[in-house]
Amino acid sequence: MTILEILTEYRPAFLKGLGVTIELSLITWVVGIGLGTLLGAIAHIWPRIGWIVRSIAFVIGGIPFLVFLYWVHYPLQIALGVVASPFLSAATILSTLNIFGVSQIVRSALDDFPEQYLDAARVCGLSQYQTLRRVQLPLVARQAIPPTLNLQVTMLQMTLFASLISVEELFRVSQRINASIHQPIEIYTALGLFFLAICIPMNGLASWLRWRFTRDISER
Amino acid sequence: MGSKLSQSFGPRRVLHDVDVEVRPGFITVLLGPSGSGKTTLVRALSMLEPPSSGRIQVDETLYDFDSPHRGVEPPWPRITVVFQQLFLWPHLTLRENITLPLRKRGCDDALLDEVVTLFNMSEFLDRHPNQVSLGQRQRAALARAVLLQPSFLLLDEITSALDVEQANRLLGYLFELRQRSIGMLLVTHNIEFARTLLDLDEKDTFLFLDEGRVVERGEKDNFITPRATRFASFLASTGSIHTRGTST
Repeated sequence: MTILEILTEYRPAFLKGLGVTIELSLITWVVGIGLGTLLGAIAHIWPRIGWIVRSIAFVIGGIPFLVFLYWVHYPLQIALGVVASPFLSAATILSTLNIFGVSQIVRSALDDFPEQYLDAARVCGLSQYQTLRRVQLPLVARQAIPPTLNLQVTMLQMTLFASLISVEELFRVSQRINASIHQPIEIYTALGLFFLAICIPMNGLASWLRWRFTRDISER
Repeated sequence: MGSKLSQSFGPRRVLHDVDVEVRPGFITVLLGPSGSGKTTLVRALSMLEPPSSGRIQVDETLYDFDSPHRGVEPPWPRITVVFQQLFLWPHLTLRENITLPLRKRGCDDALLDEVVTLFNMSEFLDRHPNQVSLGQRQRAALARAVLLQPSFLLLDEITSALDVEQANRLLGYLFELRQRSIGMLLVTHNIEFARTLLDLDEKDTFLFLDEGRVVERGEKDNFITPRATRFASFLASTGSIHTRGTST
């Protein structure tokens, strides 16, 4: 069978797996960006909290993702006496990683913000709201958006690991289909093309934004 | 404008009872070696970092920092500052940079046109700060300040990166601003620039700051016969004078 024939033949299974992958990614993105931005702002405003957040991010960054996933899904659940679905475990771990990743990007952008631009706003008589909306937020966003987009691409790719704790996402569906028809080249090529179709535009957008923002801001 | 101004950071006292007079329509030049407290004085006068003690008079309002009731709104932009590094907002075009502060106050198009013409900015007004030369950025920063129609304009080392031609052009702009009754405090360590400025109008004055204290103040004649030894040695070190002062 060709790639097209496989996709047509197993369309319901692929669509179901795709739906789970998209759902997992969206939860990870929305929770990670929302809470991560909030946590980053809190960490910037209160340096003590910032130090704690940085320490947690440092520890999490030192644990391989798979170990973290397995540890939360199996031993932690046994220890706590709770049963969570594989999807919930995966969404929780991916979101947690994304929250800390985004918070570090946002905190760093806020910490590095040149205070002098705020001084210039003050002596020009700008209100606090004007300063935030017209000066601080646009400059912080220019700093934070490109790496945040890159991180979201990484998070999308990491949803594949959810298959290892039996989440029925796209990779696991592809594995199952391959187990029955033994056409790994066609199946994994299709899978690769799917991820390329999403990741290349996102990475491209991040690179374009970085170039666009840097072009306007950096000194020549 | 400011009297008995002192500034301390923890146990370290950086300014000691400094008196500064800036009159509407005149330029006061603030001279001093690096680390003498010039920028600290500008930040205190502009109330970006209010002084530990002393008083600042802006138009009819007296800001008394010796009083426990200091919770008065800073007088921005009646006092405004052009910083050494200019700090134009880099994500905005020069036009946006100079009109953003006017949004709340209402943009006077006639004044905008007048200032754009004064600083000869029409050709590069829609570029970003990183797309124009330093001199053009400087004109934009001055235009941003002038459009706010301040009573006092504090200029912190804006001559530091300029060549002779650019500095002379800047002098022309400053004299134009004087016609608008703006009182200016010009901070510089460029002795020649200060001398040229003071030579052009004998009513302009200067003060020389050293280790947070005013050790000399006066007019252009003080450059020829300095009273303070420290000022004389400063002039000598810059090659501006070869004689010593007679007293401190």
